[in-house]
Amino acid sequence: MKENGRKVSKVILWIILILVAVIQLFPLIWLVDFSLGSSNEMFTNGLLIIPEKIRWDNYVTAFVDGNFLHYLRNSFLINTLAVVLVVIISIMAGYACQRMRWKLNNFVKTLLLLGMMIPIHATLLPNYKIYNTLNLTDTIWALLIPYVAFSLPQGMFLMTGFIESIPRELEEAAVMDGCGIYRIVFQIITPLLKPSIATVAIMTFLNNWNEFIMASTYLSSPKWKTLPFSVLEFTGEYSSNYAVQFAVMALTAAPAVIVYIILNKHITKGVAMGAVKG
Amino acid sequence: MKKLYSNKWVIFSLVLPGVLVFLFAILAPICLSVYYGFTDYSGMGEAHVIGFKNYQDLFHDSAFGRSLLNSLLLAIGFICIQHPLAIIVAAVLDKLQGRAEGIFRCIYFIPNVISVAVIAYLWKFIYNPDFGLLNNLLKAFGFQGQVNWLSQQNAIWSVLLVLIWHGFGWGMLIYYTGIKNIDPVLYEAASIDGAGWWTTFFRITLPLMKPVIQVNVTMAIISALKQMETVYLLTNGGPSNSTQFAANYLYQQAFKAFKYGYGNAIGVIFIIICIAATIVLQTIFRDKKEA
Amino acid sequence: MKKKIVASLLVAAMAVSMLAGCGDNKSADTSKEDNSKKEQQEETQKSDDNNSDDDSNADEEQASGEDVTIKLFSNLPDRKNGQGLVEQMIIDEYMEANQNVTIEVEALDEEAYKTKFKAYAMDGMPDVVSIWGQPSFLDEVLDAGVLAELSEDDYADYKFIAGSLEGFKKDGKLYGLPRNTDIQIIYYNQKMFDDNGWTVPATYDEFLTLCGTIKDAGITPVAMDGGDGWPMATFLTDILVKIAGTDYADIISNAISTGDFTAPEIKQATQLLVDSAAAGMFQTGYDSQDYGTTMNLFTNGQAAMYCMGSWDASMALNEDIDAEIRENIRAFTMPTVADGKGGAKDIAAWNGGGYAVSADSAVKEEAIKFLNYMYQPDKLSKYGWENGVGMSAQDQTAYMTGEETELQKQIMNILTEATSVSGTPINDCGPSAFKTAIESEIQGVSNGSTSVDDFLAKIGEACK
Repeated sequence: MKENGRKVSKVILWIILILVAVIQLFPLIWLVDFSLGSSNEMFTNGLLIIPEKIRWDNYVTAFVDGNFLHYLRNSFLINTLAVVLVVIISIMAGYACQRMRWKLNNFVKTLLLLGMMIPIHATLLPNYKIYNTLNLTDTIWALLIPYVAFSLPQGMFLMTGFIESIPRELEEAAVMDGCGIYRIVFQIITPLLKPSIATVAIMTFLNNWNEFIMASTYLSSPKWKTLPFSVLEFTGEYSSNYAVQFAVMALTAAPAVIVYIILNKHITKGVAMGAVKG
Repeated sequence: MKKLYSNKWVIFSLVLPGVLVFLFAILAPICLSVYYGFTDYSGMGEAHVIGFKNYQDLFHDSAFGRSLLNSLLLAIGFICIQHPLAIIVAAVLDKLQGRAEGIFRCIYFIPNVISVAVIAYLWKFIYNPDFGLLNNLLKAFGFQGQVNWLSQQNAIWSVLLVLIWHGFGWGMLIYYTGIKNIDPVLYEAASIDGAGWWTTFFRITLPLMKPVIQVNVTMAIISALKQMETVYLLTNGGPSNSTQFAANYLYQQAFKAFKYGYGNAIGVIFIIICIAATIVLQTIFRDKKEA
Repeated sequence: MKKKIVASLLVAAMAVSMLAGCGDNKSADTSKEDNSKKEQQEETQKSDDNNSDDDSNADEEQASGEDVTIKLFSNLPDRKNGQGLVEQMIIDEYMEANQNVTIEVEALDEEAYKTKFKAYAMDGMPDVVSIWGQPSFLDEVLDAGVLAELSEDDYADYKFIAGSLEGFKKDGKLYGLPRNTDIQIIYYNQKMFDDNGWTVPATYDEFLTLCGTIKDAGITPVAMDGGDGWPMATFLTDILVKIAGTDYADIISNAISTGDFTAPEIKQATQLLVDSAAAGMFQTGYDSQDYGTTMNLFTNGQAAMYCMGSWDASMALNEDIDAEIRENIRAFTMPTVADGKGGAKDIAAWNGGGYAVSADSAVKEEAIKFLNYMYQPDKLSKYGWENGVGMSAQDQTAYMTGEETELQKQIMNILTEATSVSGTPINDCGPSAFKTAIESEIQGVSNGSTSVDDFLAKIGEACK
């Protein structure tokens, strides 16, 4: 009797999990499926289609005309730079506010954390004016500055928390050895912060990878345009060809999904280890 | 040692980059916004200071009111639909062992890493009444006729659905980690006492998750306020402002209706609302904790 | 208080860091990361170098007057069909003929274009830009003085149709040139009509009846791009022209200057639009669908008619569209309304889109040279005609080849036989705040969530 009950609840458990998985995944399967057909095949009543002929050329068009490689490179470059800057600046500022002795440390810390509450889009209009005046529009700085600025509070917040938890004794030994503050920060503290650096990096990357409103406001030439533009520009150019539009969407989504699936193993391991330790 | 830690120049050099970024990219634009909020600047030509007129207009602007209401609806939707689902799924997932656990978690999170640009266009197709996935799905279940998912009445809920779908994995993961952090001893004790799954969930999991839930709820409300990207591409606030949000509205007013000054006034109010919301939420949660 | 914020956010942070807790056993990976970071930094440095090279080149260009880069900002993102193709053909030809000139194109679709244009107008525009010779767009732009003055005498031989330059002038000075003569058209699928025994309606009542019949047959009667707002506004304009006839322009300009839109003609026209939408004239979800989706409904045979400007006549030559549909696209104009003053040949048409040169362009002379090149009668006008784009704003009779599509001939006839043309459509007659308001509110009134009176009051409000 009890055994049966357990079986039933196990089945329900699996049904819930699979149902949610299907809901989360099916739109993407639908996307890839239709991207391999021709536009006319879209007008069916079925949920999925079996394309008459698999049209890889949709992807070739998407790859070439969507400026895929160039935009991917830009996205990657800008995001990596933003991550590096956020990590370095937040470690420096975090250390100064948390460990150094000065009157304004709490004030400066609060100030830097304040950015978390400011909606980024409210700065779109004035920033456009500022960047225009300084001739920064259509340069990499127009993206890098706001990306760093709005990821910094979060990074700063995480870093101060972690720096706080590092025992002071480690530094005291270094001071005895005659280390300067800069060496303490970059050679002793930074290596200890590895897990939080990874966290900050992931958060910053996820925040900015998908951003396009600022990019579309501040940029005009293709030079620094980022990956979402593959999709944004394509829908106008190929408005009559749905299949190619689907292909460019699938293609644009691919890098992040692939990277995530690869990294996911690390995350799983980390969490599992944490559970064992706990 | 003390001297080393209070060297002003070292402190200054460590803090400088962060402060510069803050001043240049956050404080300066806000100050500029405050200034332009008091002008009738169209975006070109001369700006004239007109005092509080923009703010008075804003008070009577039904589209702006609608955009705040929409943020509220969205926040309620997040809190009443997305988060309960996320907690339940996280709790269910927690019961699962082995590879399947990791695979499910990975699948749930995938939509989250996809660019909003792709998500918005994808859902535009999913909602298409003629060949969209949703209507075809209804047809497969024998439902006749076309549902207009993005009509004036439905559009805001359709937007909510997209956002719930997109952000589900994130919320789930945070809850999941929270549940994993609960001491297994507590569960063992409960099971010895003969408590069932639901009892354990309500008596142990939920109460211990309270701090995580509070943070997640705060973030849900803030993100409902800040919503722009999805709406910008999916409906652009339409039909007829029914899916308007503050960020999208200020963008439209400044760059489409040529009311840059007015747009900045919206921006200023928008910032104030966001800060106020954060503070109010913190206060509420603090009081509850103390009580 | 602040501490509490920090404390509770810290919980979130901890949660996230648990997820990302892959740092524990990753020391081997870090060195790799460092390397790749270095590489990237080098790369940026390189590209930064490139940047500065470009800049110094630009300086030299001006000094020596040799290599010139002209930036063209265009509202035609589809460079392989229709108007965009024509524009691109001329650009390629010009660059071929002038090896020292490079023309960089940035193209966005209309809505995005107009938004970005205004952002550009604040400070520093591209050299050659698409513009619209209509108050909603041009008034504020000209007030700000961002467009270069052109000399009207230069264009005496360009065969511009009489009156077509008027919308591009301010105080008698010319600031831009019109590209098209746009006519509001209802396209229909002739084969579908013939197969089902449907006929082109002569009156609005017949039109409504026909739509009912088509709907009963399970086909969308009219594909309408309601998501953008402006196509519905031009549709409303067309109805209004049929009701008010040649009084149209006066009624509108009066309403916009007073902010009072309660004139009976406007009310009747809006009511007709509302009734038509309620009767199911348009596709399900028309008020949220975009241009491309709407057009595809028609070109894929899901809709019998399609309401759009004459520029889409290039559908007849678009290879992406099934030949069976493509070759059977025909056109008619808005049927007459009972008791309306407008006859069948009083049409809604205007000179809208065109080009201008930026006033503070660093290569102004070269840009104007290119502009003039585009408008040589055998360029935009001729190529446009050959590509079935519709009517240019210049005399095209010299380029009749006898091989025009049926659709082109029909549209040509509609224009040549017209007894009057309306001029600027309603949404473009007022300031841009009015345009924004009407294009948003028209969605609400047509789908029945706003009453006609409220709609008229709201758009009146935006004029003040």
